Amino acid sequence: MINKIIKSVNDLPAFPATVVKVMGLLSREDYSLAEVTKIISFDQSLTVNILKISNSAQFSSGRSIKTIRDAVCYLGKENLIRAVQTAGISKYYKTKVKGYVSSASDLWEHSVAVALMSQILSKKIYGVENSVLYTAALLHDVGKIIMGEYIYESIEKINLLVDKRQCSFLEAEEVIIGMNHAELGGKITGQWNFPAEICDAISFHHHPDLLDNTSADTQWIVYLADQLCMMLGIGNGVDGLAYRGVSKVLRKFDLRDKDLQVYMMDLLDALDDARSMLEIV
Amino acid sequence: MSDVVIGISDLKVSNKADDVLVTYALGSCIAVAIYDPRAKVGGLLHYMLPDSTLDLNKAKATPGMFADTGIPLLFKACYNLGAQKKSMIVKVVGGASILDDTNYFRIGQKNIMAVRKMFWKNNVMINGEDTGSNYNRTVRLEISTGKVFVKRSGGLLREL
Repeated sequence: MINKIIKSVNDLPAFPATVVKVMGLLSREDYSLAEVTKIISFDQSLTVNILKISNSAQFSSGRSIKTIRDAVCYLGKENLIRAVQTAGISKYYKTKVKGYVSSASDLWEHSVAVALMSQILSKKIYGVENSVLYTAALLHDVGKIIMGEYIYESIEKINLLVDKRQCSFLEAEEVIIGMNHAELGGKITGQWNFPAEICDAISFHHHPDLLDNTSADTQWIVYLADQLCMMLGIGNGVDGLAYRGVSKVLRKFDLRDKDLQVYMMDLLDALDDARSMLEIV
Repeated sequence: MSDVVIGISDLKVSNKADDVLVTYALGSCIAVAIYDPRAKVGGLLHYMLPDSTLDLNKAKATPGMFADTGIPLLFKACYNLGAQKKSMIVKVVGGASILDDTNYFRIGQKNIMAVRKMFWKNNVMINGEDTGSNYNRTVRLEISTGKVFVKRSGGLLREL
């Protein structure tokens, strides 16, 4: 089964070239606004989605963004990166999925919620938002897009392990499918040439403690953001909340139960501001 | 029959026989469904957190967010439609948790405790409860019959 899964990863369409190009430009200190505008404008569907995303209150703070030039000028670099990544990544969620969720838009809603939560956490913990973390969070469940088909075929066996053997859903995936969706997600983003920080954060988003000490804590924040969104029931699927808690996360960031409750309230506001990001899928 | 959807931190009441009050995919949140079979009035609340002292301004703007502000409002809204406390049937669903041996994400359990405590204090009996565990639940309350149905993620619909 694993060989078949790996083949599906290799067969996935390449990550949109326009997004890769724009990200390359934006990674420079001195990017040209005109050049970024020109490259995005060549890609019509990307343009439409970036405009929709840019006009959500999350990004525009009320200003009307009518053209890509407006977006490039007014959003600021970090927001522009987030808008471009969101538009590019959304493409993979406009598909029929089986297994975890009844519709891909549930998976997209969950992904957007985790991405927004990752920024809430980053602001509270580090004082700044972080677009690399945002991208990792938005893509954390991308493995489910391919894995869903195998989950669909094996769901009874998996449920049996979860219900009767006290397995987590992730452990059941490993036993029945031979691989878990987090690991698979890391392979997909690896195939798309995303930086190691993002691939690792995705691969370890259910077990941040198993990743050897790295300089960044991206996988920990994605993990916590995911847990909180699961608890809120946003876009959850057949796996529900059947994942293991890693209690170290609270000590690591010196957080209390009350802090988590406040982040949940903040997320509802952020989601309200981000309606148009949900609508693009 | 028409579905009336209740989102997170929201509550709705109805006396229209056609209505079915629905809330989807409860995780750690709790749905409280109440129904007066004599008046044929029902209400459904989907609260997220146990205690409004966390943020009193939020509680004022969105009382359905918290157990201690949402539950009284749910009852009052049903009384306004002619329901009476003594004939109310009360059901509680949700409060799931992640698999957590060290018990550090306790919001699901705290939500369950909050509703039990409130009903115990106010002499309200809980007539049906499906709480805890680690799956999502969708809840439906039929206004014509007062029946409450619960569906776990990926599972079958069953009456509570």
